[in-house]
Amino acid sequence: MLSATRSPSLVCGDERIGRDELWERAGRLAGGLAAAGVGPGDHVALLLPNGPGFVVGFLAIAQLRAVALPLSPQYKRAEIAFHLRDCGVRTVLTDPAGAALCSGAGVQVIADADALIAESPPLEPEPRGPDEKVLLAYSSGSTGLPKRVGRTNRQLRWEADSVVAAMGLTPDDTIFCSIPMFHAYGLGCCLLAAIRSGASLVIADPGQPLPLVRERILELIERERVTVLPSVPFAFRALAEAGGGADLSAVRLCFSAGNALPRSTHDAFAAAFGVPIRQLYGLTETGTVTVNLDEDPWATAASVGRPLPGIGVDVLDRMGEPLEPGRIGDIAIRSPGMTRRHGDCFPSGDRGRLDEAGRLFLTGRSKRLIDVSGDKVDPIEVEDALAVHPRVREVVVVGVPSGVDGEELVKAVVVADERCGERELIRFCRERLANYKVPQLVEFRDEIPRSSLGKVLLKYLV
Amino acid sequence: MSVTAELETFIVDEIALGRGPRSIEPDDDLLARGVIDSLGVTQLVAFLAERYGIEVGDEELVPANFRSLAHMEAFVERRRETARTW
Repeated sequence: MLSATRSPSLVCGDERIGRDELWERAGRLAGGLAAAGVGPGDHVALLLPNGPGFVVGFLAIAQLRAVALPLSPQYKRAEIAFHLRDCGVRTVLTDPAGAALCSGAGVQVIADADALIAESPPLEPEPRGPDEKVLLAYSSGSTGLPKRVGRTNRQLRWEADSVVAAMGLTPDDTIFCSIPMFHAYGLGCCLLAAIRSGASLVIADPGQPLPLVRERILELIERERVTVLPSVPFAFRALAEAGGGADLSAVRLCFSAGNALPRSTHDAFAAAFGVPIRQLYGLTETGTVTVNLDEDPWATAASVGRPLPGIGVDVLDRMGEPLEPGRIGDIAIRSPGMTRRHGDCFPSGDRGRLDEAGRLFLTGRSKRLIDVSGDKVDPIEVEDALAVHPRVREVVVVGVPSGVDGEELVKAVVVADERCGERELIRFCRERLANYKVPQLVEFRDEIPRSSLGKVLLKYLV
Repeated sequence: MSVTAELETFIVDEIALGRGPRSIEPDDDLLARGVIDSLGVTQLVAFLAERYGIEVGDEELVPANFRSLAHMEAFVERRRETARTW
């Protein structure tokens, strides 16, 4: 567990919080939440941007032996309502902006954690059973609505310890967090990795959108002597475009996940800062699966690396039989850190191949997902949102090239009963979906092209 | 419609719809309140180009130009002034 080996353990904006102070705040918040009626096993939504509030909230919920449901601060009212209902959440820990979106949801909303921290005695944490559920998260499902994934204390701890061991993280490391911690990638590779290794965590101020503060972020990475930098292709490209000059020589590991890393982004970042970006592969259901820790990452930059020790990755044919190296098939994962809902072998929905040395290369997806900058959009979720519009008869949502390597635009192809405008449909989506999911393009057609078997011919819609 | 009013309408209807405020005061800090995130900046840059013909340069992508309606209006006016003096 965390120990006071180094201070500060958390840096965000002007705030520096030492390890002891962090645990003190978490204990007091846990005490305050307990007084507010939250107990072991209760589901508590965490609707907060990255920052000390999120970290303290997550630790407090864990100390209570309650179950955390981290939600995206980008969600709209309808999305939040769905998650609260689906998880049976009774309490939401948020800020005033989030509280406004939870009104009328029939849940207890705590929007001023600082007040609870100030007035509550610390809770004496009870030991947590290994198979107690700690976390609820959502993954894109096959029906359009995101599907719930529960992970236990044992699973999260195993994942975090594997990441720490594989990356050789120690209290001397400083991890930079610019990716959202409500997401499995940020939670596992930033927060949990820091907690289990004792590394310091530097959090990019979420109130400062990346395109506006690229230089400031580079200064922060340099000033805090960041050693581990997990991020996404969109952010690496933005930082590379901000130009060189920053000294990132302390960075020993730079990871990219979320979507495929274009070679152009890898090369631009390397040219600007002399640091190679290594790819990492993981899923909400499993946490981190593979990491490219090759001694010469330049030669294998296209690979997401080998599985973490203890994790098995197979590439399977259509009959579920393992394929030999070099053959492309469906990626299946066996990991002590993954949710058990799917049994011992999780079908990732991704496709790829292994090389002779066991490195994994991703080649595509069997699930339809759209890669927008930094986020993945499930087209079925957008189709479901549009399908309830009174004038939409049929809709198919696809990803189309955006002009930037590895990124797409969301396009809705619509058959309307009567004429409705593009703006009207975009506005309709905007009221219901987080902005990154909202189509940028709407095309009206008389019919959706289908095969003789009725299957939508997506290639004619792009 | 004034620049401030046009920007307010754009932000309320296009960026903040479904989660943000229904009206914005000129000095509200839209970055600190999370009304404008990375995607919102991209939307605003596209709006400034489409509505006012302002191409935002890399060096102009700074919080001081996007923090509030007042900051954005000042930026638009500054750029218009520059355009007139060319």
